[in-house]
Amino acid sequence: MTQKLLKLSGIGENRLHLAWLSSAEAQRFVDISTAVINDISVQGKFEPAMFELELGAVEETLKSETIRWMVGKEVKLLTKGDVYGRKWEREKFESVLDSVLDREYKIRLIHQAIAAGFTSVRGISSRIGMDMKEISYLLADMEKSSMVEFKGHENSIPVFGAL
Amino acid sequence: MVNIMTDFEPKIVAFLCNWCAYAGADLAGVSRIQHPSNLRTVRVMCSGRIDPLFVVQALKNGSDGVLVAG
Repeated sequence: MTQKLLKLSGIGENRLHLAWLSSAEAQRFVDISTAVINDISVQGKFEPAMFELELGAVEETLKSETIRWMVGKEVKLLTKGDVYGRKWEREKFESVLDSVLDREYKIRLIHQAIAAGFTSVRGISSRIGMDMKEISYLLADMEKSSMVEFKGHENSIPVFGAL
Repeated sequence: MVNIMTDFEPKIVAFLCNWCAYAGADLAGVSRIQHPSNLRTVRVMCSGRIDPLFVVQALKNGSDGVLVAG
């Protein structure tokens, strides 16, 4: 899930590696760590300053209730089923999680952009490279959930503030 | 000869489970198996202790990659 988010944000899913081994597998540990180091070396240095908004958005998404709830319910939904007794297929769960992640991440990225001083739809779009129409739709939803507020017009351009 | 200016040495934060990966790393050290030294190890009592936010924190604070091993 975290790798999916890193991919969405453009940071790259392979900045995070996951591995499982037992305490007796010293050689395996060396092999894994060497492979990870080589892979990161190829990717080169990571510049947090270049991904300031993205890192903030990833962090806020990971903190969000919806994501925590979904990840927490994963095993139950796949093995026991939901409150209606319906068992979920893994593919279905993954695709729902993907769309929720995508939406939650975009909302938080917009929020980060506004907080960083890009207050108009055009400004946000130029900063984070998202489609203006999509930003407008998401902004309307964000207003309802009190994440942003409409501040009024500046030269007849609507301006938003982050809450 | 190794050129220090061009050879990039990544900084990688490794979260290692005390009972699995950390013991494995320890054993690698004890049995004197050669391995690179780019990992900055954080020993945790279980890999389930690791919050995804730790990964973001590590990246924010200048690590080039993160390894979670359990």
